[in-house]
Amino acid sequence: MVHISDGILEPWLWGSGWVITAAILAYTLKKMKIDDVPKISVITAAVFVASLIHFQAGPTSVHLVLSGFAGITLGILAYPCIFVALVMQAFLFQHGGVTTIGINTVNIGVPALISFLIFKAGMKLNVGISKTTIIFGAIAGGTAVVLAVLLLVVELLATGEQFTEATTAVVLAHIIWVIPVETVFTGVIAGFLATVKPEMLSIKKRL
Amino acid sequence: MRIIKSLSLLALVLVLCTLLIPAASAHRVHLREQVMDVQIKAWYGGGDPMANANVEVYSIRDEQEELYLEGKTDENGLYNFTPKLGTSSYRVVVELTGHKGELEFDLTAGSQPDAELPLYLSVLVGFGFLVGIGGIAAYLSARKMKAQ
Repeated sequence: MVHISDGILEPWLWGSGWVITAAILAYTLKKMKIDDVPKISVITAAVFVASLIHFQAGPTSVHLVLSGFAGITLGILAYPCIFVALVMQAFLFQHGGVTTIGINTVNIGVPALISFLIFKAGMKLNVGISKTTIIFGAIAGGTAVVLAVLLLVVELLATGEQFTEATTAVVLAHIIWVIPVETVFTGVIAGFLATVKPEMLSIKKRL
Repeated sequence: MRIIKSLSLLALVLVLCTLLIPAASAHRVHLREQVMDVQIKAWYGGGDPMANANVEVYSIRDEQEELYLEGKTDENGLYNFTPKLGTSSYRVVVELTGHKGELEFDLTAGSQPDAELPLYLSVLVGFGFLVGIGGIAAYLSARKMKAQ
């Protein structure tokens, strides 16, 4: 659902999507070191195939996004990761449109950045409980999807799409399936990486 | 006199013969074939049907496009419509919350399904790109480390 196809949005909307994406890409790529690229490639591979993991939820079909996962592992570099993954999905799976790669990257990438900020803030916060990585990883993963769905709905409404029963069903399917699955998945992965391979996470955690 | 007699006999026979041939008619009959039902199937990559999606059928005649029908797919992603008499070209747009697909076809020519690269190949191609990018970066960073 979070991949908008060609010819649905108004040109000004997908146009501004490209502008925002270009700006964030320029900033994040400037921050990127060449040593980060192999790690980004690995996470991008996961995000790229995530859309293939789909559930038949009532009348609609939904799939994983893994944007929260990209956020907690790559930090701000999640943005180029998602951009590359979307480009490949558009051309290899015909998943989403080509003109809409910009706006789709905004829809998925900006929530990924926010999920990173949540994760980072949560790690700094001393809540006095163990397993903070799992809890904040889970929150980050869930938030990323919620925000992505929200952005998408706002854009569709801005285009004048009727909020039909079908749309409601798709949003519901995300609430029932994708959000819980990603919440649990990102939480578990965050906890797992923190113990097994902490350098894979975007933040340096004192264990 | 004999000649006239035999001629009139011949004429009579010919007139009688016309009674035996089937009646010719000046009412020319026109026929046109009609396909009564065209079924459109819409599904997502991976095979899940696109249920309750909005369907728009445009008929194309002399390169002029005209909205012919609007409807919704059923729960199996199917939509049936009866084509307009005499129009064989159609463009069908199926759309649901940001997902959109288009199909242009001609009933007389039949439609060619888009050749879809098998999924595992698409995945391999994608992985190949990423391994390539990662590999180049690893090479560059290794060279940088060597230089230091």
